[in-house]
Amino acid sequence: MKAPIISLQGVHKYYGDCEPRLHVLKGIDLDVAEGEYVSITGTSGSGKSTLLNLLGCLDNTSNGAYLLNGRDVSLYSDDELSKIRNEDIGFIFQSFNLIPQLTVFENVQVPLLYGARSIAATTDLCHEVIDSVGLSDRSEHRPTQLSGGECQRVAIARALINDPVLLLADEPTGNLDSTTGEEVLALIDDLHQQGRSVVMITHDPEVANRSQRRVDLRDGIIVEEGAA
Amino acid sequence: MISQKHLELVRMGLRSLVGYPMRTVLTMLGVVFGVGSVIAMLALGAGAERELLKEIGRLGIQNIIINSIKPEVQDTSNQRSNWISSYGITFKDHRQIVDTIPGIEKALPVHVSKKTVWQGSKRVEGTLYAVTPEHLDMFQLNTSVGRNLTHLDDEKLSRVCVVRSGMLKELGIYQDPIGFGLNIDKETFYIVGVLKDDSFLGYARKALSVDAKSSEIYVPYSSALRRHGTRSITRRSGSSEATDVELNQVVISVTDLDQVLVTARMLGSLLERNHPEKDYELVVPLEVLSQRQKTQQVFNIALVAIASISLLVGGIGIANIMLATVTERTKEIGVRRALGARRRHIIAQFLTETTTISTIGGGVGVLVGIGLVQVLTFFTGWSAAITLSSVALSLSISMAVGIVSGIYPARRAAGLDPISALRHE
Ligand SMILES: Nc1ncnc2c1ncn2[C@@H]1O[C@H](COP(=O)(O)OP(=O)(O)O)[C@@H](O)[C@H]1O
Ligand SMILES: [Mg+2]
Repeated sequence: MKAPIISLQGVHKYYGDCEPRLHVLKGIDLDVAEGEYVSITGTSGSGKSTLLNLLGCLDNTSNGAYLLNGRDVSLYSDDELSKIRNEDIGFIFQSFNLIPQLTVFENVQVPLLYGARSIAATTDLCHEVIDSVGLSDRSEHRPTQLSGGECQRVAIARALINDPVLLLADEPTGNLDSTTGEEVLALIDDLHQQGRSVVMITHDPEVANRSQRRVDLRDGIIVEEGAA
Repeated sequence: MISQKHLELVRMGLRSLVGYPMRTVLTMLGVVFGVGSVIAMLALGAGAERELLKEIGRLGIQNIIINSIKPEVQDTSNQRSNWISSYGITFKDHRQIVDTIPGIEKALPVHVSKKTVWQGSKRVEGTLYAVTPEHLDMFQLNTSVGRNLTHLDDEKLSRVCVVRSGMLKELGIYQDPIGFGLNIDKETFYIVGVLKDDSFLGYARKALSVDAKSSEIYVPYSSALRRHGTRSITRRSGSSEATDVELNQVVISVTDLDQVLVTARMLGSLLERNHPEKDYELVVPLEVLSQRQKTQQVFNIALVAIASISLLVGGIGIANIMLATVTERTKEIGVRRALGARRRHIIAQFLTETTTISTIGGGVGVLVGIGLVQVLTFFTGWSAAITLSSVALSLSISMAVGIVSGIYPARRAAGLDPISALRHE
């Protein structure tokens, strides 16, 4: 087994400043190996999104260590976490989260605005990535002119633009019908095949079966872990 | 590289402004009118100042003008014993000035008298100015027809005159006026030149005691003095009044501009000694100009301060709308943060948007201001001058308004917690 890209050790997460604080994650231990495809299932409110946000460096743990690629990011500053999100992590959301006033091309460009590379040097790259999700003829369209499946493919292109090692998806097919959902999942399968680590939240057991490993979360604790 | 990213940021900022055109326009309006009124106020101020320079500058800032004035309170006993009222600057004063005060280039004598001017059966009430030829040069009294007075006219005591064109029609002269004879006190003066019709304005007219009717007749000083003397009799409803003023005016030109005020002080004390009854006034155009400029500047500052209030209101408007925008775009801010935007990127984004709004508003405001000035000058006849510096000032102020009004909303946006922002619907 390869070295873990993600390693959570005794992670707790509380919400709120005043007692009683909401105890959402209650001691999570989880390793994800590089190139692994893990799905997280669980009932609504069990803490799946909270866990994924922690993995995505959008938030810090209240307690416990989070090692990303061997680095303990629980001690990182806001700017350093931003840099990691920009370079190492690709997010795919249930509600796509495209910026409505920007075109497909510009939406895919957004992560480049916050990175080190120049915009001019990455124009070709943007076209390539848009092409790879099959939307090269829609690059000047607005999100409102696209179907849900197309929007999610734009979001995937955006997640890929900085070639991240880790893809995090929070119910990526939750807002899609089964056919377009299947297309999106196939795309994620491809990305896994190319060697990226994927952590995906889903409540659909069939979707979870596509992953290599299932993690079942209940009330902030991992209750079941095993091969899908 | 940085600048190119910034351009991209501006472009995307513009995109969100174009996305809500009505809101963007309404947000801009405050700055548009603020800058418009600042431009208009500055233009009117500059116009007034230019007018002032034209008006007082015509007097010559190197000159000092001494006018004889009739004393307010007449000594009654004096009047009874002597029916001629005699006051003002004398030949002796003139001689003393020339002899004792240093740094004087010229001291030109002027004699002014009201006369009835006849041409055939037509007549005009005119003002006869007995002046030296230099006087006409000094005040840029140039002829449009014929010639000006010369030293030869003066030496030969020629009976020639230069007139304003306005009076020609009243005298029934419609063809070439050169050579027409005007009868003044039983003497005939022949017209040799007609002045360009650019009479003195406002203060300059008062300082040179020129009336608004433009009925000045300029004759050689020596000719007039030899023929009419210094006494003049004015008949008014039965009673007649005689005055004897040797010099109505002396125009002094100071060699060195730096010495004008010093010379004026010396002239003042000389005249004070000779004329305890204060029957003269000393006009120093340089002093008047700087006083009036000071007043004008205070006025300008007040005007611009008032106009700036609308700019301030414009800035508050931008801040207000931007705060609303931040709430509305909380989700977008969360998304951008998730994609790697740092706090300063979010700040830069919102500052770029507010600065773009206010700068475009400023640009439109400049055009509105120029339009406003055109309309105002058209309907009121006020003088106005739109200066490049006022445009530059307004544009920089509007840019600053954008930055200042953007700071609070931008910091609010950047301070949002990424997760809460993402969860926001
Ligand atoms: N930012 C937050 N502030 C306060 N409570 C939160 C926050 N995020 C999530 N929660 C709470 O934590 C619990 C777990 O939420 P979440 O991780 O979104 O669950 P899931 O994604 O499994 O449905 C819920 O009760 C939710 O209300
Ligand atoms: Mg969730």
